[in-house]
Amino acid sequence: MMTFLNYILSGISLGSIYAIIALGYTMVYGIAKMLNFAHGDVIMVGAYICFFAVSRYSLPPLVGVIAAMAVCTVLGIVVERLAYKPLRAAPSLAVLITAIGVSYFLQNGAQLLWTPNPKVFSSVVGTGRLALFGGQLTVSYVTITTIASCIVIMVALSWFTGNTKMGKAMRACSEDKGAAQLMGINVNSTISVTFAIGSALAAVAGVLLCSAYPTLVPTTGAMPGIKAFTAAVFGGIGSIPGAFLGGLLLGVIEIFAKAYISTQLSDAVVFAVLIIVLLVKPAGLLGKQVSEKV
Amino acid sequence: MLTVENIDVFYGAIHAIKGISFNVNEGEVVALIGANGAGKSTTLKTISGIMHPRNGKITFLDEDITRTEGHKLPAKGLAQVPEGRRIFQQMTVMENLEMGAYIQKKVSAEDFDNVFSHFPRLKERRSQIAGTLSGGEQQMLAMGRALMSRPKLLMLDEPSMGLAPILVEEIFNIIQEFHTSGTTILLVEQNAEMALQIADRAYVLETGKIALSGTGKELSESDEIRKAYLGG
Ligand SMILES: Nc1ncnc2c1ncn2[C@@H]1O[C@H](COP(=O)(O)OP(=O)(O)O)[C@@H](O)[C@H]1O
Ligand SMILES: [Mg+2]
Repeated sequence: MMTFLNYILSGISLGSIYAIIALGYTMVYGIAKMLNFAHGDVIMVGAYICFFAVSRYSLPPLVGVIAAMAVCTVLGIVVERLAYKPLRAAPSLAVLITAIGVSYFLQNGAQLLWTPNPKVFSSVVGTGRLALFGGQLTVSYVTITTIASCIVIMVALSWFTGNTKMGKAMRACSEDKGAAQLMGINVNSTISVTFAIGSALAAVAGVLLCSAYPTLVPTTGAMPGIKAFTAAVFGGIGSIPGAFLGGLLLGVIEIFAKAYISTQLSDAVVFAVLIIVLLVKPAGLLGKQVSEKV
Repeated sequence: MLTVENIDVFYGAIHAIKGISFNVNEGEVVALIGANGAGKSTTLKTISGIMHPRNGKITFLDEDITRTEGHKLPAKGLAQVPEGRRIFQQMTVMENLEMGAYIQKKVSAEDFDNVFSHFPRLKERRSQIAGTLSGGEQQMLAMGRALMSRPKLLMLDEPSMGLAPILVEEIFNIIQEFHTSGTTILLVEQNAEMALQIADRAYVLETGKIALSGTGKELSESDEIRKAYLGG
């Protein structure tokens, strides 16, 4: 029973990381209608920044996290300006290929700057554990922090998009850029803000990911990036609650597949579930079935 | 108030607007009529900065806005109700109206009251998701949304499209109300009969050129117009 609870907690914790990454994917997709495949690599950059701040310059972990968020925010905005904005009117295949190019550029850049040798990331909340039920169930601080961060981020984002002028403008742009512009909304700067938010969240995800799985290499972000993309599609791409739900479910399914089926096959199981969901609900769990308007 | 001089507008190689000129004076209702594909929507899109002309000049309130980015125009007093309404389907009626007031620092209760006085039905439905409104209500919302920016010049692109005759009547009455309360109006319509009834002046667009112009009365009595647009 306690093992089962442990699996659930690990699943939710991993899923929380996927969810935070998936939120970035889904927000960018919602507004720019593009899959930013470089999003996973922003995670890696965030983790490196935090690593250097904390391990090399002995700054407090919180400062490391903030530095990572700041750098990733700027990185997100710069990448959008230089690589994606010039392609605003280009076919989506061209944008997709560019995003893959940016992804490799970030990975190779990280290799050049920080070498491919693994760095050992030290958890930003330490390695302590909380004992529950008289020590029968222990939960690491990392797990607690991860789940709490995900909930805080989810609540904050929902509030932001539902209640602030900028958040509503983002929703307006994701529905109809032409109409949004007629309202006086600067569509380009709204897209920039979306990239900034998504990238700052990616930094948080990178720090949490490496706090749980401490090996940091230039390709660290690639697989979680793909998983989170899967989570976003699973929940319904473009939908913020969908990304949250998709991320959590994906994490739980992955951990259960590892525990009860096979460690080697766990990723295959995850993708099999995705395929089945998409066969039944092509728009994803919470996605809206939208017919293309002409 | 608005002067369009000799503009040429292209979609790639397609020459959609071929050197048209016209003007709208403060306080007028000016209609732009013409068949489907004549270039009416393109003209409005060019004025509101969604597209830019290759040649020519557009002046609004003595300012050259030919190359001004579209999102800067609402703050100068220009608003457009686009063809097909283009309301934000997944947002509520209130949120749509708030977006209309995006350029105001703060949304004022008076602006909402003003919109609701023209469109009482929107008040009843203010918490409803806009996509679930009927076609007529969506048109009202699109017009109300444009009103929220307190425009000096309101451009409407085929507000009667797809509406039942009784609703068309209602929409045109409301356009009249806007006009009476001091808004200058540039009205694009295929429904020439209705448009000419309320227009002070009108221009007839044919394949990207202005074929005719005159007062609403002159044009509705012209034989050419009767044959081409008013069904005899
Ligand atoms: N997005 C577009 N791409 C290419 N051609 C277009 C586009 N939109 C309109 N056109 C062409 O421009 C011309 C004018 O169209 P439009 O301004 O929409 O006419 P109207 O509003 O009078 O019906 C038409 O010949 C139309 O086919
Ligand atoms: Mg048209």
